[in-house]
Amino acid sequence: MSAPAYAACVALVTALGLGIAAWTHPAFLHSSLQTMGLEAVPKAAPGSFYVTRIAPLFETRCISCHGPTRAKGQLRLDSFAAAMRGGKDGAVIVPGDPKASELFHRISLPVSDDKAMPPSGKAALTPDEVTVIKLWIVAGASGEIRTIKGAPKPVLEVKIPESDPATVQKQRAPLAAAVTQLQARFPGVIIYESRSSADLEVDASLKGATFGDADLAALMPLKARITRADFSSTSITDASAPTLAAMTALVRLRLARTAITDKTVQALAGLKSLKSVSLVDTRVADAAPLKARGVAVYGGGDE
Amino acid sequence: MSDPQKEHVLVWDIPTRIFHWTIVVLVALSWFSADQGFMRVHLWSGLTLLALLLFRVLWGLFGSTTSRFVDFLHPPRKVVAYLRGHEKTLYAGHNPAGGWMVAVMIGVLLAQALTGLFSNDGLHFTGPLALWVSDDVSTRITGLHGTIFNIILVLVWLHVVAVGFYLLVRNHNLVRAMVTGRKHARHVPEGLNLSFTRLYVALLLLGLTAGIAAWVFFQGVP
Amino acid sequence: MSDLTSDDLLAEYLKVQAQTRRQFVGWGAGGLGALFMNSAMAAAPQPHAVPSALNFARDPATPLSVLPPQFAAKVKRVIYLHMGGSPSQLDLFDYKPVLKRFHGQDCPQSFLAGKRFAFIQGVPKLLGPMFPFHQAGKNGTWISDRLPHLEKQIDDLCIIKSMKTDQFNHAPAQLLVHTGDARLGHASLGSWITYGLGSENQNLPGFIVLISNGGTTANAGKPLWGSGFLPSVYQGVPCRSAGEPVLYLQNPPGVTRPERRQVLDAVDEINRENFKTFGNPETVTRIAQYEMAFRMQLEASDAMDIKKEPAKVLERYGAEPGKTSYANNCLVARRLAERGVRFIQLYHWGWDSHGTPVDEGVNVGLVKRCKETDQPTAALLADLKQRGLLEDTLVIWGGEFGRTPMWENRGGQEMEFIGRDHHPSCFTLFMAGGGIKHGISHGETDDMGYSIVRDPVEVRDLHATMLYLLGFDYRKLNYPYQGLDQKLTGVKPARIVSEILA
Repeated sequence: MSAPAYAACVALVTALGLGIAAWTHPAFLHSSLQTMGLEAVPKAAPGSFYVTRIAPLFETRCISCHGPTRAKGQLRLDSFAAAMRGGKDGAVIVPGDPKASELFHRISLPVSDDKAMPPSGKAALTPDEVTVIKLWIVAGASGEIRTIKGAPKPVLEVKIPESDPATVQKQRAPLAAAVTQLQARFPGVIIYESRSSADLEVDASLKGATFGDADLAALMPLKARITRADFSSTSITDASAPTLAAMTALVRLRLARTAITDKTVQALAGLKSLKSVSLVDTRVADAAPLKARGVAVYGGGDE
Repeated sequence: MSDPQKEHVLVWDIPTRIFHWTIVVLVALSWFSADQGFMRVHLWSGLTLLALLLFRVLWGLFGSTTSRFVDFLHPPRKVVAYLRGHEKTLYAGHNPAGGWMVAVMIGVLLAQALTGLFSNDGLHFTGPLALWVSDDVSTRITGLHGTIFNIILVLVWLHVVAVGFYLLVRNHNLVRAMVTGRKHARHVPEGLNLSFTRLYVALLLLGLTAGIAAWVFFQGVP
Repeated sequence: MSDLTSDDLLAEYLKVQAQTRRQFVGWGAGGLGALFMNSAMAAAPQPHAVPSALNFARDPATPLSVLPPQFAAKVKRVIYLHMGGSPSQLDLFDYKPVLKRFHGQDCPQSFLAGKRFAFIQGVPKLLGPMFPFHQAGKNGTWISDRLPHLEKQIDDLCIIKSMKTDQFNHAPAQLLVHTGDARLGHASLGSWITYGLGSENQNLPGFIVLISNGGTTANAGKPLWGSGFLPSVYQGVPCRSAGEPVLYLQNPPGVTRPERRQVLDAVDEINRENFKTFGNPETVTRIAQYEMAFRMQLEASDAMDIKKEPAKVLERYGAEPGKTSYANNCLVARRLAERGVRFIQLYHWGWDSHGTPVDEGVNVGLVKRCKETDQPTAALLADLKQRGLLEDTLVIWGGEFGRTPMWENRGGQEMEFIGRDHHPSCFTLFMAGGGIKHGISHGETDDMGYSIVRDPVEVRDLHATMLYLLGFDYRKLNYPYQGLDQKLTGVKPARIVSEILA
């Protein structure tokens, strides 16, 4: 055989081989065509149902075995195009027909079935998650549709707030000296709201009558940072109203069993962040200014 | 009547030949077992491959003349010249192009076996040394293991095409040579003086590499 | 007085804290060797040890001093109402009309195959709800007629119907709920929380236990409020709502308070010398506890004295001063909450409605338990709410597992009284208070009330959620012990139940 003839044979056989591979593995064919730019790559629109509900599901539950690092069954689910292409045995999603969609078939199998997806050892999809995928397939497995009627709401996982100690320290710096000094003067009364916050909580209720207006006035330097304050059972009076009114960050205030009156209530009406006030066992008769602002009022004439 | 012994010269020793064909079977077996999910078979064929490849490396240092790296690894200039057809030299063992092909294949297959040791399948099955590295590293190595597989496919194709060229165009049956160990006299240089290392050395080296593979296996046994 | 200052004490304490008590031995070459090894290893980096992210070190003289939570908390204190024996959810909260239709029929094999029951044998009959159910509150929540007072508070409750556990007997199940592990040795909820947060009132224990209807202890005993591997100062203190709040707290007759102070000072001095020599951190704890007991003599009696409450309040709870009762305990719980106690644990025994003795029958015993607890629980919730305390208190009510939809047939025999066996697969628990959605139900069981079909909540998920509300990442509230950074939730990953958070 001459060299050119041989080259031709090789080219032919190779082409035939690739052709057969493409024929029996449509996923491979499409991925090659798409990579070569000979076929349009289907994309999902940002904000679409696929992007907001389906893709996150795939990402958390499927990509470890069907993604860029590993593609079991030659199936990748880390992009809309890949998911629609399917894997070794062809397309796994048939738009409009969940029963014919191998992906849906596998995730609906009982956990004990060998072919169930995710396989045993990995957490199974919840019924809601399976429903979401089913509804999406029924609605055409599209990358465009934004909402699907009847789709169960997504389950939000709680995100624990992160904090950086250096940032917290910086935030605490301006009042740090005042806080330390007042903590020494009133042990057990002042504490930071949390380890990741510069806001303060004040609880003088256990001090009882020994804590009075003068003591409360001493807290003035901290006025902008106090979010919770409990002066129940102390000996404060309306004289402390201006100090309280100056605590602009107050969210929760307790003044139960104190000698305050409606005057203090009026002074508090200006506190924008205030969410709840306790006036139990006080002489307050009218807490309307606060209630009008939507503040939860305990006691204060509505017993 | 011509003497078959004189017409066909022994160039390949038994260990090299057995090595070659066993590798062919094991690579195919590894591919098939991975594809079908028979991971225990995959583990065994991979470890055997490891032992054999390590053996081949040692044999390339201590084996018969034609098996030694120093025999078939030539400087790049020579390879280019050979491919261009400028050279008329005959080679008993691998020619310059073939020689580098062999080296690359051994290297790539070894890389595949080694990456396999640290891989995981995301579920229950891990390579015997996978616990030596973090999950993250293991997953990345698994990715490499997958990529190298594609490279192996390409190399195998290249190898078959090259062997086919010699067979069909140059009338030089390399396949039979790798089975019988003999090439026709017209393909080998005159006045050959090949040394063939004794079989027991091969067995010793194989014992050593099998021991290494066994040790690797036991790292993965809890 | 000894020449050991508080600073010295702190330095010694912190140095010794770096070694666990197990490693610290004062005798034998082996001990010294162990001591060396431990300090050498403590210095070397541990490849697999993750340093505890948060520091809970305090002055050992004030082990319960308040520490801020990790992030802003929704609640400041917890009142846990544990219904020991486990109340029958199918007769109180989890309405199953389908089960009612199958009442009296043989239980299908599919419910029995492969399962292990505490007492059921053979094929029991199915037992429908024993009491009529109706809908109540703004959201039409189903509830039986056994809890008429609680019903009025139903819009404050978050009822979780899909709690699950893997323990089917009382002691391990109670341990799981209260210590995060079914085996002994772990720290209880209150211990973890007072360890992490301290307690606002330094004159009272931070963790108080009140028991009614069952002697002095529940099935799993004192470990339910024990400190486990945490320093023992964080253990729960059982108090009584009748008579002396804490036994032997008051001075014996003839001993005055100043005399008591002198005795304590002497004991203090000896203990400090002892600590200087041996460095046992428990000594510091002991000093702190004697001091606290001294302070408690005054404050505890006042806190526990419900006679001080107006008659109106006593009537609302159904409390009777001088007796031990759940109602009294609920009122005491509210008083303790007002006084800055961090974790208040109530146990009320007798819900184990197997139907063996009459007092445990679903149709008799359960009725009595409901009568004992319905009004006080409702009164507690209403009272806390009225005083503005509910918004930063977490109240939890529940048992340790559920009860079967089958009629218990102990030993395969039909029973004289009607009962249900233990059922770990699903049980009901409710929460109320700050940070929790109210007037809702979470989770669902199947039509027979046998398994969970929606939103299962493991006990560790409940714990993770509790800690989140208190301002902690459940993974970061740690205590290093036996080579592990121990957590309340254990080693399995837990999930904060986001669906019930407000």
